[in-house]
Amino acid sequence: MIQATSMKPTPPPFHFSRRQFLRDGARVAAMTGLGTLVGLTAARTRGHGTVWQIDPQKCVRCGLCATSCVLEQSAVKCVHAHAICGYCQLCTGYFEPEPNDLNTGAENQLCPTAAIRRSFVEDPYYEYTIDEGLCIGCAKCVEGCNRFGNGSLFLQIRHDRCVNCNQCAISKVCPVDAFRRVPGSQPYLLKTTSHGS
Amino acid sequence: MGAESPFRFPPPEFESGHQLPLTAVPGGRAWIWEYIDVAVLLAALGIATWLIYKKRSRKGILALSIFSVLYFGFWRKGCVCSIGSLQNVALGVCDSSYGLPIGVLAFFVLPLIFALFAGRSFCAAVCPHGALQDLVLLRPIRLAPWLEQGLSVVPYFYMGAGVLFAATGSGFIICQYDPFITVFRMNGPVLMVTAGIVLLLLGTFVGRPYCRFLCPYGALLKLGSVFSRWRVRVTPTFCTQCRLCEASCPFGALNHPSSANPTDIRPERRRLVWTLVLVPVAVIVGGCLGFLASPAASRMHPTVQLAELFLKKGNAPVAYGPLTPEAFALERARRDPKQVLMEAALVQKRFQTATPLFGGWIGLVVALKLVGLALHRQSTDYEPDRGNCFSCARCFEYCPNETGARAFLETSVKPSAPLQPSAPS
Amino acid sequence: MSELSRNRLFSRRGFMRRAAGTAAAGATLVSLRALAARPEATNPWAYDDTIYRRTDPKLVKYEEKARFSVAHSSPRCICLTKDERLVVGAGRFVCDYTLDGKLLSEFSLADEVRCIAERDDLLYVGLREHIEVYERSGKRKEVWDTPGSKSYFTALAVSEKDLFAADAGNRVVLRYDRFGKLKGRIGDRRKEPPIPGFIVPSPFFDVALAPDGLLRVTNAGWHSVEAYTFDGDLEFAWGKPGAAIENFCGCCNPIKLAFLTDGRVVTFEKGIPRVKIHGPDGKFESVVAGAESFPENAKVCGPNDCTLGGLSGVVDSKGQIYILDLVAANVRRMTRKPTAT
Repeated sequence: MIQATSMKPTPPPFHFSRRQFLRDGARVAAMTGLGTLVGLTAARTRGHGTVWQIDPQKCVRCGLCATSCVLEQSAVKCVHAHAICGYCQLCTGYFEPEPNDLNTGAENQLCPTAAIRRSFVEDPYYEYTIDEGLCIGCAKCVEGCNRFGNGSLFLQIRHDRCVNCNQCAISKVCPVDAFRRVPGSQPYLLKTTSHGS
Repeated sequence: MGAESPFRFPPPEFESGHQLPLTAVPGGRAWIWEYIDVAVLLAALGIATWLIYKKRSRKGILALSIFSVLYFGFWRKGCVCSIGSLQNVALGVCDSSYGLPIGVLAFFVLPLIFALFAGRSFCAAVCPHGALQDLVLLRPIRLAPWLEQGLSVVPYFYMGAGVLFAATGSGFIICQYDPFITVFRMNGPVLMVTAGIVLLLLGTFVGRPYCRFLCPYGALLKLGSVFSRWRVRVTPTFCTQCRLCEASCPFGALNHPSSANPTDIRPERRRLVWTLVLVPVAVIVGGCLGFLASPAASRMHPTVQLAELFLKKGNAPVAYGPLTPEAFALERARRDPKQVLMEAALVQKRFQTATPLFGGWIGLVVALKLVGLALHRQSTDYEPDRGNCFSCARCFEYCPNETGARAFLETSVKPSAPLQPSAPS
Repeated sequence: MSELSRNRLFSRRGFMRRAAGTAAAGATLVSLRALAARPEATNPWAYDDTIYRRTDPKLVKYEEKARFSVAHSSPRCICLTKDERLVVGAGRFVCDYTLDGKLLSEFSLADEVRCIAERDDLLYVGLREHIEVYERSGKRKEVWDTPGSKSYFTALAVSEKDLFAADAGNRVVLRYDRFGKLKGRIGDRRKEPPIPGFIVPSPFFDVALAPDGLLRVTNAGWHSVEAYTFDGDLEFAWGKPGAAIENFCGCCNPIKLAFLTDGRVVTFEKGIPRVKIHGPDGKFESVVAGAESFPENAKVCGPNDCTLGGLSGVVDSKGQIYILDLVAANVRRMTRKPTAT
């Protein structure tokens, strides 16, 4: 039976009880605990958080970056530091160990998806650029470049693709622990030049 | 090593004056979005609480659930989420080198604060995982009480395990074994995609299986909600024990009133006493078992795994040619075995202090569950359980007081004219 | 409830329970299978050059007779003196050995030795940016001027009247007289007559005097051996890039040349470290020592930087080849197998 004494339905009247008191106490304690937690951790927060990145000096080109990322197309791509590149006609990161000819034929290329573009600059120098849409992050070219060349190709996580998981799935399987958290303001560990020693 | 070698020459000076292209460095998500996410969370929590307490609208909750699934689920791909933030906070407390982002901290703290005041409004319509399960629920079945009570301790175990492995730096298992993120990302390892599909299918007839029996953050919200300031009520005014709401809760979170006759309930004092005595015993036993399990648990940490690989296969001949990832790991271990073994020993020491705590926690949870089962609370009303109710607002419509109140509100009556009391029944 | 659901055998609830149970069991099986796939799996994109690191034993015509260690680490250069002694430049030291490896004397310099040559009992020692002349005892005689700061001397060849210095930094071979006066430059890029110019990506650039009276210069970036007159005219060139045994591997090879008395060329390579013999016209003839003979060199060379490794060597009057392993810091003496023609 509804007994309408006012416009709005009212909740039952408030009873102060021991239970309520205990409950309030527990709530205050919980809030204090949360506050301490916030204080403890907030003091250590680093700007706008950290992102994951590969240390190219540690990477051994094991091929797991291409398959272990949680995204369908891995967020790891090959990156080219042109200042280190020798611009060789025979790029050991571009060509198979025994190419038929030094041209852009698919059978001569190392890259399984033909993601490296070779363009003529001047005789005898060629420029090599990576097409990130095609690159799968398999590090085959990185291996060739490092082994016989200048080492100007290396893998990096591209942050316009990476979703910044709590625990990077690739970092879990990386055999040499090449992944680490870097500040979001400086999210890349690029190879720099150190020539003419 | 390549760039640091002194034996490499810089790129040639081009006669044509060709400029070297710069390496592109695309940045990540602009930092403002983190704050926008927190703002949306806060707004959603506020709206959910308002919908539950003021508007008392199932339709509103449903609409908010769809929004949450779309925004926090498919748009943000389920990450960052409050469930996983538990681990980030654990790591942030235990590892001083890890900087916890403010957004993640907010995702951890805000739903808890709301739970302390208004119950599990987060679970109602804000959490994308919960909303997803809520939306696929078609024909809820009632689970056997033994099953329900037994499985209800699993979230506490999962919470303990998540904190243990996150705090020791072994990994984020809650994220790794999150079944619904594969649905939001439309991609994932075979194991988790299957688990996601299985749970969703299960969720069509078992209401919110992940929330009730797995969610570790839900365990915390449950604890917070037990002490909440306000509680969800089936009836907007007072309960008349009409029993119409008895079958309304698909999640078994509605408490039926105990028998009207006080003599029907025998206080199980003996049972209560021995379960209370059991609490410290269980904690100690759990702690000891945890200590014994410490080596096994430490194998979750990658450094310990590397050390074990080295000890097992360190004498194998050096491999040549293209190496498998395991061979690379072995090579790395062989380069400085002392360092690896030392680091692994440190990790194992950390586990030796952590696993007894985890074991004690498990013991505590089990013992307190038994204590809780020995306690009987007298109640006369049909009330949603403080801890278990997800505030989904399904039960509101079953209550005649609710429909009556709404009907009352819909009729246009001037406030100055009080209604005549109805005829006595 | 419908008729069907009341029928226990075909109850909807029972069916759903069974379906759920089967799904759970299936999921467990799938998950176990998925867990079974572990990182022992091989890398499908591995850069595999192992076939090029294995030499066909039929091609190997030389065998190792003796081996001795160099007293200092990181040796860079070796030369054979008129009185049949081996002079090795290792670190800052110049060491004098007999052909059997007995250390006779050594002396040290202010800086690292990059290249060395001997003529008329004078040692011409190339440091990074300039050349110094020493007597065999170690007494310094002359210090020549440096051509410039970009210089990086990597090889020296001395004839009766001239000294040819390969400058990898400036990518040119400089011609001096025996007293340090610059007489000319060889190898500058020219259109008429066409000279391609040298590509030197790393400091491995060799110049040597061939028995036919011409200079041989390794144009490592083009993977070719070029023959010049002393005045700088390009006569001919041979050599092809490739990892196969008859070609020159990697980005820049060969790194050193030596000559047998009949004009055949002994080539030394890094990256895939190997020593081969080509005919005077460049046709591949045989292998002196394949990549399997240099495991430490191969290990250091790859996978991170092939310039850290390398081989050098000389040929003595009896046709024995001495190979200096720059990584293992030893010299091995190779003689022709008796069964080989």
